[in-house]
Amino acid sequence: MTDQSPTVSAEASRKLIEDTARKGGAVVFGVADPARFSAAPPGHRPEDLLPGVRSVIVLGGAKPRAGDWASPNFQHMELSSTNDRVTALAMKIAHLIERELGYYALTVPPGVDEGQQPFISLSLAAELAGCGTRSLAGPVLHPEHGFTYFGALLTTLPLPHDKPMEAPACPAPDCVSMYEQSGRTPCTKVCDAAAGGCLSGRIEDGRWAERQYDAGRCTARVYNHWIPSFQKVLADTLDEPDKDRRRMMLNSGLFTRTLWSMTYANISQGQCFECIRVCPVDARTRDLR
Amino acid sequence: MDGAHQSDGEAVLLGQRVKEAALGYGADVVGIAPTDRWDDFVPEGYRPYDLLPGAKSVIVVGARGPTAGAWRSPNPRVMEVLGLDFANDRAIAALTGWVETKTGHMAIQAPGLSVAGHQPPFSYMLAAVLSGLGTRSFAANIVLNPRFGLLYYSACITTLELPADPMLEQDVCPAPMCVATYKHIGKTPCMAACSADDGGCLDGSIGEDGRIEEVYYDRERCVSRAMNFGPVAFQKVLADLAAEDDPDTRRAKVHSDFFSRACAGVAFYKESVAQCFECMRVCPVGRQERKLK
Repeated sequence: MTDQSPTVSAEASRKLIEDTARKGGAVVFGVADPARFSAAPPGHRPEDLLPGVRSVIVLGGAKPRAGDWASPNFQHMELSSTNDRVTALAMKIAHLIERELGYYALTVPPGVDEGQQPFISLSLAAELAGCGTRSLAGPVLHPEHGFTYFGALLTTLPLPHDKPMEAPACPAPDCVSMYEQSGRTPCTKVCDAAAGGCLSGRIEDGRWAERQYDAGRCTARVYNHWIPSFQKVLADTLDEPDKDRRRMMLNSGLFTRTLWSMTYANISQGQCFECIRVCPVDARTRDLR
Repeated sequence: MDGAHQSDGEAVLLGQRVKEAALGYGADVVGIAPTDRWDDFVPEGYRPYDLLPGAKSVIVVGARGPTAGAWRSPNPRVMEVLGLDFANDRAIAALTGWVETKTGHMAIQAPGLSVAGHQPPFSYMLAAVLSGLGTRSFAANIVLNPRFGLLYYSACITTLELPADPMLEQDVCPAPMCVATYKHIGKTPCMAACSADDGGCLDGSIGEDGRIEEVYYDRERCVSRAMNFGPVAFQKVLADLAAEDDPDTRRAKVHSDFFSRACAGVAFYKESVAQCFECMRVCPVGRQERKLK
């Protein structure tokens, strides 16, 4: 922390950034030490994207509202849940750091790139920044806010770093109780790997001692109207010898939704929220009038 | 506030308020041009008043897209994905609404995307030049702003009459450093990075007066390099898929990494429509603004 701007301390910089983030809609905020990304493969560590990086800022927000979860129409969530707002907020913070504090900043591009690999794992960044811990179902959960979308930015600005959480958010106490009674948690019950679902695991001393998450099966269910679906329908259509059937496939509701989801509407990338729907971690924030 | 009957002082004040609003909405620079400046440069159908009858002024905003950190990244894909953040579009959308609401004059966001070939109904580049925000460069004819270099531009056409900004008298390109480089090696930094005689896109000459004498820019070659994951690439692969007879090869191509990225390029969630920033990476104009701690 010796290379500070003469006028703004590391603590004051962090406060300015965190206040801006929270005002912009972040409900979770943390700063990770870029040196701790050793679990990431080479090429996907902060230094690989921004030489001289000193801080990885993580923002969490844009979580579905209590009303979204309460809607009996499951397609509502499929159409409204997206990480765009958090990514835009990360970009805003990056500009703030460069233009007001004078340090380099780079928003981690969202999504995956070559080989379906993320530029930098937002889940890992969130864990290292103390923004939550990995859940059995995959997403990083914050103990108070549960499931949120994450955005991250890298900067050469030195900031006080957070540490990973010591206690995991998953399994929540309610889940441990349920497991002790029935051998299952809410999420393993709703999406049981033994019954064609994606999840299973064993809890010992209040923590997951074994976990199974079928990422391939989950992806096949979660991404049904996005680029992977577009590719699937396109491949099938090109294989189809019958012209009328081909025309029907291209004009189908499935293909139309797929095109909507991957183009400007951009609101339907993930379709299955069931494991998080039953997750009790942030149940109290969903309990409104 | 009504811009129809105003004194010179009121007009100047209104122009200042327009610019303050634009900067407040996220623009880095703002310029204003009267619509008759287009008369000498574009054919009928492409003038501001062809798009909005009675148009008197064009307000042009420019915004820096990528952060200085993105320019610094050794991973070129970062710039390819984050090369544009639409700050210029957001600013002009807000400003257009502001003009109508606050002044009672009609305003439209100028349509700058290509509608046929590479031809847009309204050229943002020309608008930037005519409103005094920059001048054309050796580097793919990109309009360079004297302070920021590469900017992304958007424009608002309005029936509101506003005080005009003068066009720049001094060319931004070539920068003094580029003139010196040219004298030494016969090329500017951008020509050296993407030389037309070495398979690249750029060539040209600088006259004795230190100004651009001749420019060569191979746009088709540039497009084939700079747009590898947007609609152009998507169409190429689609045509290739339709012509492929072997079902296994076809399926492999559909599910290939390249096609996935081409799809991501046309999808809204990633802005990967341009991939090559090399001529701008070496351009000294605006470099000072990208020099941080």
